[in-house]
Amino acid sequence: MSILTAVVVGLAMGSIFGFALEKSRVFEPGMIVGQMQMRNFIMLKVFLTAVATGAVVLAVLNGFGFVKLAPKAALYYADIIGGVILGVGITLAGACPGTTLAQVGAGYRDALFTLVGGLCGAVAYTYAQPILSKTILGQGDGKIIFTDLLGMPYWIGALIFAAALVVILVMLEKWRPWRAELGNDVDGDFGPARPKA
Amino acid sequence: MLTQKAWSPYFAGIVIGLLQIPAFLMVETALGASSSYVTVGVWLTGFFDPSITNIAYAASHVSAAAKNWWQVALVGGIAVGAFVSMKISAARRPAISPIWARAIGTASPNARYAMAFVGGFVMLFGARIADGCTSGHGISGMAQLSVGSTVAVAAMFAGGIAAAMLLKRI
Repeated sequence: MSILTAVVVGLAMGSIFGFALEKSRVFEPGMIVGQMQMRNFIMLKVFLTAVATGAVVLAVLNGFGFVKLAPKAALYYADIIGGVILGVGITLAGACPGTTLAQVGAGYRDALFTLVGGLCGAVAYTYAQPILSKTILGQGDGKIIFTDLLGMPYWIGALIFAAALVVILVMLEKWRPWRAELGNDVDGDFGPARPKA
Repeated sequence: MLTQKAWSPYFAGIVIGLLQIPAFLMVETALGASSSYVTVGVWLTGFFDPSITNIAYAASHVSAAAKNWWQVALVGGIAVGAFVSMKISAARRPAISPIWARAIGTASPNARYAMAFVGGFVMLFGARIADGCTSGHGISGMAQLSVGSTVAVAAMFAGGIAAAMLLKRI
């Protein structure tokens, strides 16, 4: 695929991604901090639904042999240490690396600072990477997936996993209906009423 | 439906999950976001420090490979899609979400801008150590039943919840 085609495909897919992120409200700082404070579960609902959908899609595509899977290598120290740092950053930013751009598009001015901070963080890591990769952060087990450990085909495990996620989501929705989680201005804000911006 | 302010999180989640179809079939990769920060960051840094591409990690992210620039376009497209969705639903956002004044106890925009910069820095530094973010490890890694991605997502929520406990309740 040429770079130009890749960019056009990326822009088209990204536009759909951004549209859905905006409609789901998951890009709102109120939703992301609200999830981390366990008072709002919209983030988990969008996230687990996207995981379950992806699992079904890949069970079909991989099961029928159309695509190869592309899992990342299991680097346990890096996954745990990096994951914790990433999580702290997500709470401070009130965004993930992807939803930062949705915030920029929606007009949140602080998201521009998140974006520049993110670029600086990525460059700082790049300079440190030759050293960090020689530490325990570079140690791991290769590309392992759960169904390999269980000795079953991926597609069966993926469908079982998706079914389990659907059960969890149904229970989550019974416990916390999504319409009650949107907040004052579909922004996850439950503070005192304020004049509309 | 396109002019609604909010969709069901389940419908939106299905739309996002279905994007794995063109990602795997056309680009032969999974959805992800955080690598693009390396691509753009290294490309910009290259104007000041051309030797950055002596680092293999930098060179591989900024090379003319389709996947690199596909992801940059994907992440840029997110801003476009969110902008369009916002406009056609006639929603408007303040400069800063009202939750921040309660979370950090000050309405100072500069305090929030500083926090956002630090948050962004920490977020991407962590994501690059972990080799993925909410998209790459979360949406894509867990859908592929990746052991490492599942560990990374658990750690991400642990770090996020711990940090959120230090903020005031929103």
